[in-house]
Amino acid sequence: MTTVDLHTLTGAYALDALPEAEEREFAGHLEACEACAREVAELRETAARLALAVAEVPPTALRSRVMAAIPEVRQLPPRARQDTVRPLRARGWRQRMPYLAAAACLVGAAVAGGVAVNAEHEADQARAHTARAEQQAAQVQSVLAAPDATVRTAALKGGGTGTVVASKQLGRTAFLYSDLPALPGSHVYELWYSRNGTMVPAGLVASGSTSGSTVLAGAPAGAAGVGVTVEPHGGSPRPTTAPVLLVPLS
Amino acid sequence: MRAVARGDDQPSAPRPGALETLLDRVSRGDQDAFDGVYTAVAGSVLGLVRRVLRDPAQSEEVAQEVLIEVWRSAARFDPRQGSAMAWIMTVAHRRAVDRVRSAQASTAREHKAAARDHRPAFDEVSEQVERRLEREQVRRCLEQLTALQRESVTLAYYRGYTYRETADLLDTALGTVKTRLRDGLIRLRDCLGVTS
Repeated sequence: MTTVDLHTLTGAYALDALPEAEEREFAGHLEACEACAREVAELRETAARLALAVAEVPPTALRSRVMAAIPEVRQLPPRARQDTVRPLRARGWRQRMPYLAAAACLVGAAVAGGVAVNAEHEADQARAHTARAEQQAAQVQSVLAAPDATVRTAALKGGGTGTVVASKQLGRTAFLYSDLPALPGSHVYELWYSRNGTMVPAGLVASGSTSGSTVLAGAPAGAAGVGVTVEPHGGSPRPTTAPVLLVPLS
Repeated sequence: MRAVARGDDQPSAPRPGALETLLDRVSRGDQDAFDGVYTAVAGSVLGLVRRVLRDPAQSEEVAQEVLIEVWRSAARFDPRQGSAMAWIMTVAHRRAVDRVRSAQASTAREHKAAARDHRPAFDEVSEQVERRLEREQVRRCLEQLTALQRESVTLAYYRGYTYRETADLLDTALGTVKTRLRDGLIRLRDCLGVTS
């Protein structure tokens, strides 16, 4: 697509009318095109006026529910400064969330209902907890949004569901999990890449977390599969138990 | 603080900058300030979401999510990138559209059939609407668009259609719809006197 073609997409973009792949492409273009970013901002202001014109009187129950909910919702800290300098960069996670939701829904189709909601909800919660968790969640989303992402879902021995999303292009693998059996505090779920017949450590599932997502340490290239074992607290350099999950990567 | 958002003559139209000020206070955990934000935006959030989703229960649920999201990420609002209202409506539209698209595969057909019967959105504006002036101005400006511009913009925004779906419904080339979405919005922008 030429630059001129891309520029005509400001309207469709401001109205959320681009299909996912084109939206990603255009978002990339926006980072380099200040005039486009300015135009998108103006067209969004315009679209907001269309929203004001269809305002309704909300039921009082909505106010009660929202006001009752917020004291229990932790607020996000301000974004790190370098992220806010470039126009539209701050759209970042908010705009990427949809990919997580959409991809997680895709995933959800193959597994038990509710996984998508859990994955999103958990990603939300993780993000609210620490800046590190937030970065982690952003990485999970980027893997889910990668055009070459492969998705494999399987049930864990002993209960729960695991989904492995790998992108060779990004060099990243995400693991989404739900309803994992809770482990005693002395144990954790450890992730592994299977490389040349050897299990290589690829990180731990956050202790105590039974539904959520994480990004594996290391790239998927060259790995035949991803495994999960139960290990003593802190993880092990090699598996000490039989895998509860083994998913091929291909 | 409620005086800012509620106590004046136009409860749902705070003075320019008021919403931004409230949001700044919300970002520091001020629940009273959030009450003001709610008053200012809840009607538009719900109205917009309902346009896209139609189903009243689902719309309320999504509107609730959006409003809680505003509380949660108030500190992420960056006034250099636009108004607080545009930021909130962008979040609302996105959430509504995501909800539609994730449910779409199964209902694509009926969705499409419903849309064929659809009349321009400004004709079905509820009598409950508070913002009469705003509505009048938007209606007047929408009427200045060409039919294709108006239909493209309202189908994409109020129905949450992609430009491909819009082109399909209007039986028009993809490139034409892309262009109409842009020049339609630009004409609207100029008519409404929007600046960013």
